[in-house]
Amino acid sequence: MVTMWKYTIFAFGIFLVHLSESKAQSYDDKRCKCICPSISSVINTTQPSTDRLNFISNVSPSTCNCEGVILPRLGDQIKGKEQIFCPRCDCKYENRNTAIIKIVVIIVIWVISLLVIYMLFLICLDPLLNKKIHKGTGTGGYQEHTNEEDDTTVTPGTSHPMGVRGNVLNRVGHQQDKWKRQVREQRRNIYDRHTMLN
Amino acid sequence: MEKFPLKGTSTSTASSHPALSSTLTTYHSVDAKNGNGVDSNTGDARLRSTVTNCTGSLSSDEDMLDVNHHTTASHTAGNNAFLERSVRLDDASSHCGVTFSGLQVSGDSEDIPGIGQYEDFHTIDWQRDIARDRMRHRYIVKKKHDSIWDLIKGAHDAWSGWLCVLLVGLFTGVAAGVIDIGASWMTDLKFGICPQAFWLNKEQCCWSYNETTFDGGNCTQWKSWPEVFKQSKDGAGPYIISYLFYTAWALLFASLSASLVRMFAPYACGSGIPEIKTILSGFIIRGYLGKWTLIIKSVGLILSVSSGLNLGKEGPMVHIACCIGNIFSYLFPKYGRNEAKKREILSAAAAAGVSVAFGAPIGGVLFSLEEVSYYFPLKTLWRSFFCALIAAFVLRSINPFGNEHSVLFYVEYNKPWIFFELVPFVMLGIMGGVIATIFIKANLYWCRYRKTSKLGQYPVTEVLVVTVATAIISYPNPYTRMNTSQLIYLLFSQCGVSNADILCDYNRNFTDVNSAIEIAAAEPGVYKAVWLLVLALILKLIMTIFTFGMKVPCGLFIPSLCLGAIMGRIVGIGMEQLAYNYPHIWMFSEECSTGVDCITPGLYAMVGAAAVLGGVTRMTVSLVVIMFELTGGVRYIVPLMAAAMASKWVGDALGKQGIYDAHIGLNGYPFLDSKDEFQHTTLAADVMQPKRNEALHVLTQDSMTVDDVDTLLKETEHNGFPVIVSRESQYLVGFVLRRDLNLAIANAKRMMEGISGQSLIIFTNGNNVQTHGPPPLKLKKILDMAPITITDQTPMETVVDMFRKLGLRQTLVTHNGRLLGVITKKDVLRHVKQLDNEDPNSVLFN
Repeated sequence: MVTMWKYTIFAFGIFLVHLSESKAQSYDDKRCKCICPSISSVINTTQPSTDRLNFISNVSPSTCNCEGVILPRLGDQIKGKEQIFCPRCDCKYENRNTAIIKIVVIIVIWVISLLVIYMLFLICLDPLLNKKIHKGTGTGGYQEHTNEEDDTTVTPGTSHPMGVRGNVLNRVGHQQDKWKRQVREQRRNIYDRHTMLN
Repeated sequence: MEKFPLKGTSTSTASSHPALSSTLTTYHSVDAKNGNGVDSNTGDARLRSTVTNCTGSLSSDEDMLDVNHHTTASHTAGNNAFLERSVRLDDASSHCGVTFSGLQVSGDSEDIPGIGQYEDFHTIDWQRDIARDRMRHRYIVKKKHDSIWDLIKGAHDAWSGWLCVLLVGLFTGVAAGVIDIGASWMTDLKFGICPQAFWLNKEQCCWSYNETTFDGGNCTQWKSWPEVFKQSKDGAGPYIISYLFYTAWALLFASLSASLVRMFAPYACGSGIPEIKTILSGFIIRGYLGKWTLIIKSVGLILSVSSGLNLGKEGPMVHIACCIGNIFSYLFPKYGRNEAKKREILSAAAAAGVSVAFGAPIGGVLFSLEEVSYYFPLKTLWRSFFCALIAAFVLRSINPFGNEHSVLFYVEYNKPWIFFELVPFVMLGIMGGVIATIFIKANLYWCRYRKTSKLGQYPVTEVLVVTVATAIISYPNPYTRMNTSQLIYLLFSQCGVSNADILCDYNRNFTDVNSAIEIAAAEPGVYKAVWLLVLALILKLIMTIFTFGMKVPCGLFIPSLCLGAIMGRIVGIGMEQLAYNYPHIWMFSEECSTGVDCITPGLYAMVGAAAVLGGVTRMTVSLVVIMFELTGGVRYIVPLMAAAMASKWVGDALGKQGIYDAHIGLNGYPFLDSKDEFQHTTLAADVMQPKRNEALHVLTQDSMTVDDVDTLLKETEHNGFPVIVSRESQYLVGFVLRRDLNLAIANAKRMMEGISGQSLIIFTNGNNVQTHGPPPLKLKKILDMAPITITDQTPMETVVDMFRKLGLRQTLVTHNGRLLGVITKKDVLRHVKQLDNEDPNSVLFN
């Protein structure tokens, strides 16, 4: 299982590099966003309106203000009333990183789908496979629930000299069995006996 | 001699062998060269003298200190009493270390694997672990002068703590960034999708949307689900489609979260803070901080937050950070192999967790200090500080929300508050305390019901039912429909031009040149919003009661912040309208008469949020600092403090525990709270095991065979056995742990020739024992020769204090120097529960 993960991660890395190179240019990472009340509600006092005007432009942080963003666009309409209109506007300079967002979201989707697939595998196929193996060999005694990192101490029973490949597979299988036992133990504590995490 | 058997021997040794006890280095060289090669008589007596020194220093018994004086006087020229005393204590502690050098020959190489580790659901022995680390450290310091390589090793050892917390901080920041981005994207998936770039959430999708008209943040790039299916935007049909999609996505996310947790890592469910607290107080839960728990908790957290359930990601973030801390501590044997030292890393990790959850590094450190940590020396404080700093920095560079901050609901305030407002703030504190108490009581009742009834057998079904109920009830109300963090942001922020919500439907006059937004009359929109908020408050309170404790990763900070923010905002709007309509009454002291807005409803929301969170968790200092870091306004410290304090008082008066302590109690974790006082007059003799008419199971130092010990191990379930001189004279020699004994015997049977059932087990140096049969098994190495002992007349108050402050796992009770019994941490906990009229059998673990 470990090797499988490694390959997946490797392939996935290539995929990511590929993705980040071809990133969509239509989404900028910087913006200056100004929100103003509607012109009529400022100029023409008799018509209070809740409409808002929204301006987004790509300017430098120092010019992200009324003069830099709004006046070039609305200069004619609010001529002479800048002093009234401008303080009502709310300008904010923001930046983000779409590449990171993209990579993270794709990683999240991948991880969730891998976990779901593995879960389905464990639910559906694993009982069938295990039945076969257990009929054949009949191994699998109880091993103590020890420290996770004590790999060196708990493998005397399973290191049969079966060649490197068999050994790796055995080790992986053994790790998986150990993990499954731990999860079963956790499940018993929480869902059956209710001794923890209630 | 009869009265002080140990003291007698030790004084004589100390005076008759000044050469041996004069300097530490002699000890070491002797120990290192030939482990137990000293002449048996003196060696034994010397070690025994160190035992006395240790207990002497800890119980500060005058006679015992006198013995110390003998040993130290030869090489210290103490000028004043204080210096001498400190040197003495120092020396005594190093004597302990020497005793432990008997435990392990050298610092690094342990010839029996697994010694010093603990079994699942056991409490750790802080004293023993810290002594082991001191021993290891001294070994490294001594070796440092041998070669360059050893020097490098020593340097690596010295900075490994900082390196470890650096790594923990880095990865905690990254994990928090992933969770934040993932959750915000997935939350918006319930409403629609960004077809051109599916990985963007609604706000990011409309980031460059450059059309000047503006309706509630909708843009053409973002397609809501009805639009995706070529429907119009408004109307009954699209509304139903949106409703269905919302519910379906919520159901999908919640079911995925619940089944992933159930399938891969059941320990990933819940908030995790009660368990982290217990673990940091010295308890072992294997797998609770493992790799799978980390992965599943992160993924499950994203899913359960996006499902729209009333839960937050802040509490679980602490758990995630602690998982990262645990995993990285295995890179450094100094921490990975020593449970007491590992807890220093975990404390720092908890600080980093809060630091990234709220973007509040200092608040995180204080949270770790105030709420979760048990043992928090200054060194850990600095490491926590560093770890929190790194984590916050990394998260800030990832910039998950695009607002230059690590939380969505960061608001910046710079409005003054008037003195009279303290009254409503304290009122908010009181109301927060009441709401928090209602929440704690109801949630605890529900959790107990879940634990004992059939409901507990359907964890996934429960999640699904609650999710469907939440989704169906939440959708019609826009304030419950939106993400809870967004709602908090909305409630915290001021009404300005950029805020288009009906909450800000004021009759503002935009023509005034005055740039401040003046106080204004509320339009019907505000009243409608208030009613919706009241509904949202009730709904969220009820749903959170049912949600917290379900078998998905779920935290409590955000829901309680939200409850408080709603409450505070409503009160704030009330105050604001009061000030608008009656600007001249005395309490506003003329400050509201000029027409500027003197009341900021957002500030009330913040104070209310702090009040409810403070009432639920009973935090004070850390809470205020977190809130202050969230707003960046120093001037609100006093209102926040007032509210937090009032809320804590009310909470303490109405129900004595915070939610985390209540859950610790519910689960029966062995947590000895250092906040409670022990006020009963019982004695150690009343608590100790064995009770009257029962036999005390002990080992003798040189007269039991392997078979005897095996039967003893089979017949009893104690986790350790005192070793005495012989059955006839029950003088204490030391204490040996069951696990160590098991491991050592198994190891000896495997490795050593000729060990049979008839072999004697010897805990002394054993050179004077004449053996005729099979070779003896020497187990002096695993014997703790410095167990903490008390007399049977010691008041329990002292005993409880010793357990808390020294982090003991057990203490031995003697009478006239003879061993009488044992008090374990479990006995103490059960005793405390019994005296508090609770069921003592609810303490479940060892």
